[in-house]
Amino acid sequence: MPVRAHRLGLILGLAALVASLPVLAPRGAQAEEDVWPALKQANFGDRSIAAEDGMVVLDAPTTAEDAAIVPLTVRVPPDVKGPLKSLTLIIDKNPSPVVATLTFGPAAGAGGERSFATRVRIDMFSHVRAILETEDGKLHMATRFVQAAGGCAAMQAKDPDTENADLGKMIVKTFPPALSTAPLFEGLVMIKHPNSNGMQLDINTGGTIPARFVKEMIVKRDGDLVFRMESTFSISSNPNFRFTFGRGADNELDVAITDTDGTVFTGKSQPSGS
Amino acid sequence: MWHRIECSFQPDIDAEPHRATDRLLLSRQGFLRAALAFAAAPLLKAIPACFATPVGASLAVDEIGPGVFVHQGRYEVQSPENRGDMANAGFIVGTDAVAVIDTLGSTQVGRDLRDAIRTVTSKPIRYVINTHMHPDHVFGNAAFKEDSPAFVANHKLARGLGSRAERYLAINKQMLGPEAFEGIEIVFPTVPVDGTLSLDLGGRTLLLETQRTAHTDNDLTVTDSATNTLFLGDLLFSVHVPTLDGSIKGWLALIDDLKQRKVARVVPGHGPRAMQLPGALEPEQRYLATIAADVRKLIKEGKTIEDAAKTAGFEERDAWKLFDQYRVRNVTAAFAELEWE
Repeated sequence: MPVRAHRLGLILGLAALVASLPVLAPRGAQAEEDVWPALKQANFGDRSIAAEDGMVVLDAPTTAEDAAIVPLTVRVPPDVKGPLKSLTLIIDKNPSPVVATLTFGPAAGAGGERSFATRVRIDMFSHVRAILETEDGKLHMATRFVQAAGGCAAMQAKDPDTENADLGKMIVKTFPPALSTAPLFEGLVMIKHPNSNGMQLDINTGGTIPARFVKEMIVKRDGDLVFRMESTFSISSNPNFRFTFGRGADNELDVAITDTDGTVFTGKSQPSGS
Repeated sequence: MWHRIECSFQPDIDAEPHRATDRLLLSRQGFLRAALAFAAAPLLKAIPACFATPVGASLAVDEIGPGVFVHQGRYEVQSPENRGDMANAGFIVGTDAVAVIDTLGSTQVGRDLRDAIRTVTSKPIRYVINTHMHPDHVFGNAAFKEDSPAFVANHKLARGLGSRAERYLAINKQMLGPEAFEGIEIVFPTVPVDGTLSLDLGGRTLLLETQRTAHTDNDLTVTDSATNTLFLGDLLFSVHVPTLDGSIKGWLALIDDLKQRKVARVVPGHGPRAMQLPGALEPEQRYLATIAADVRKLIKEGKTIEDAAKTAGFEERDAWKLFDQYRVRNVTAAFAELEWE
């Protein structure tokens, strides 16, 4: 994963300082630059993207209470019909700007208000974007500006010693809709995982904690694909995903998560609603 | 004012905050009476701290027990006006040395604290103890570097502070403004404590105890043997709303234990200078239990962390200062912990 030189320098500096009863200078103001044109080109090439056309809505706090755990919710309004192809979440100023890309399958559902929510780290004041690809191959974008800083180097864990104890513990839940005729169920996937981004200080060694994060998640309903997600360390530790899926026969979810160490974690939902 | 000067050592239980200007109004007569009282009390000779409130110092301190001094911070978030003076800090004077307990939220108010200590005693400042990693308790550490003290803290403080240093500095620079921020440095502990440690100040011993994860994962308490005074740091909030940065389950469990302690008085990290157990802990216990109950109910109903941030914890609103500033943060932290139950 790309780590920009000034960040790496800062981290190494911090490590050195910690080792010697240090004096730590405040970080200087970051140069404002619009990185979106380059990001857009790298991820979507010359394709045109319709901004704020109402096809996709992004909910994000204006100011994050905790930059290491910023809740984001992407919603596709109910008047948008038909299947969806993909969804990409981008945080412009993060060291690895692409947070996650979801490719939807047949069990993702085709009506109602579809949504996907997770919690992310935001390194500095940044635009956050949700880019939706509809069935016709067109791209639609919603953008929010979030004031948050230091989410990536921040060690989110409030009690890091207990954090690795139950790594891999997974909770998978489903929530049936209030109306028994509604087309969408809701699913929740939580996994205990530090999602280390390689930027957090290891006080014992003076170095940084090696990167280890969730890179892929596959969610199936009754054997059919809801979505496949590729992700980066911009997802908060203890990754948490809440999403809609199309009503099926049993509405049972199977989840397989693979991290950068190659470890695979699997989970299955309890009977509906439990 | 008199009782403070004559070293009668009445703990100032639940008193309203006194303004710094009160300290400046000591009459010459009052000062002389204090000096006489001191001279007439040979048993107290070993404790030159009896002059109590330093005349002319800009930072108010009160003697809550023989040789035990507390400065009460304001119930505010950091600002250019308060310069980071928004937590309690203390110092304890032995026959040989002085120990400082927390250093306030900037090098500048840390210096004011040091000046206040120097008005009371010239004994060497041998220990600077931090009760936990938060900036309003550690950012004044640099003011004591010239004393070359041992900086003593929970062995987990360095990790917690180190990994948050960049963010703490950025936030405090923004909130304090450039003038009050000037001089702030991160000073890490040189003596880490894991379990217990005794510090001998001469004529009295301080017992330092690391605690389970509660307010943070690096809380540390200090008990003075001579007066049986327990400094709880931010394990005890009074008036100022509690802030959760550790474990709500751990904190509630620890409160049950702490309520059993038999001590002459406790000193909160935010609140009056001195309070009594077990009552001092009860409002905080009620606040945390309310948050936990609200959040557990929402989790059970399948609600999200954003739902909780919007709706949970409002019952306690009228009971605390700074309630609105910390509600969302506390509820979010509680949710992220309790959703794994």
